[in-house]
Amino acid sequence: MENAGLSCTIALVKTTIIAFTLSILLCGAAWAGLTWEQTQIELHPAAVDKEVVGHFKYKNTGDKPVRIKSVRTSCGCTAAQSQKEAIAPGDTGEVTATFKIGDRTGTQVKGVTVETDDRVHSTIALVLKTVIAQPLEIQPVLVYWQTGEEPKAKSINVKAAKDFPVNGINITPVNQNFETKITKVGNGEFKIDIQPRDTTRPIAAVFTLQADASPKKFTVGARVANLVPSKATAVQQ
Amino acid sequence: MLKQTVALILLAFLPAIGEAIYYRHKVSWQSPVPASETVTVDLARSWGDNAIWIDARPDNEFERDHVPGAIQLNEDRWNDLLGPFLATWSPEKKVVVYCSTQSCNLAIEVAQRLRNEAQIKYVFVLQGGWEEWLKKKR
Repeated sequence: MENAGLSCTIALVKTTIIAFTLSILLCGAAWAGLTWEQTQIELHPAAVDKEVVGHFKYKNTGDKPVRIKSVRTSCGCTAAQSQKEAIAPGDTGEVTATFKIGDRTGTQVKGVTVETDDRVHSTIALVLKTVIAQPLEIQPVLVYWQTGEEPKAKSINVKAAKDFPVNGINITPVNQNFETKITKVGNGEFKIDIQPRDTTRPIAAVFTLQADASPKKFTVGARVANLVPSKATAVQQ
Repeated sequence: MLKQTVALILLAFLPAIGEAIYYRHKVSWQSPVPASETVTVDLARSWGDNAIWIDARPDNEFERDHVPGAIQLNEDRWNDLLGPFLATWSPEKKVVVYCSTQSCNLAIEVAQRLRNEAQIKYVFVLQGGWEEWLKKKR
């Protein structure tokens, strides 16, 4: 009697598993809509590029038309749109995502969300990964001294990207409160020494750094500051 | 009956576990910013003149409205906007960076660059961003 009950339970579980698996497979087959060539794209723009465009290609592999309801991006720096609004069975198309590089650096991961009327895959998450090489890697962009500190020079290291050949850099403007000196320390590598003429009072300067034969400008700062806030103290630039 | 129930529950978990493994790199399991690097609107406002407010939103949003006294610094025009910020910054001041909402990443990215590139220590991302600031202002 117990064996019969156990067999019955096993049979029931088996049936449930088979029914569950079949329901998933059949459901997917019946409603299979857009098939994407890739949902993640990685791009490596050149140092001079201002924007990159990712092409996410799709094909309607289902037996019903699919309508793209919306295409949204995770950042104002990325604009995305679908080539087509309605995609007939067997038809192909693409969603283009344009990422504005601006002054961004490093690896930027931006999401694009596509909403369709497909009942199985109504929301598709696309990822545009952009690896941006900084033409000049500047570290740090700010040097500072506390008032009363010994006015020793502090260094800013500058390293050019591989695809951005640099023979020389210059720093402007000349500032009466800080002395600047550029030394080439390697191929595309430089050291900028900045030294305050005195550290007895708060002073600040903002410099523009530019590589030869390039219009791109970078900003670095130097400052002598009071550690304790003082509203009455004016800062000379 | 109990075995069937357990079996069905386990079956129900299978797709969820599968998705969790498949999308493990796409799901934010934790906040990208440690709690120590964020600040509430109330606390940031209590810092008064010892805080520098940075608006990391795009130009048009900043022009529409912003926290009084905030300096604009975003990654669209980082090199143009960094100068005015560096001229204002002072080591004893706390830097509060905000963007539109809790979910926007612009403030996080600007805060990271200030920490990494300018090596500024006291940089905080405003919890809830501009949206939260407006709520608290009412």
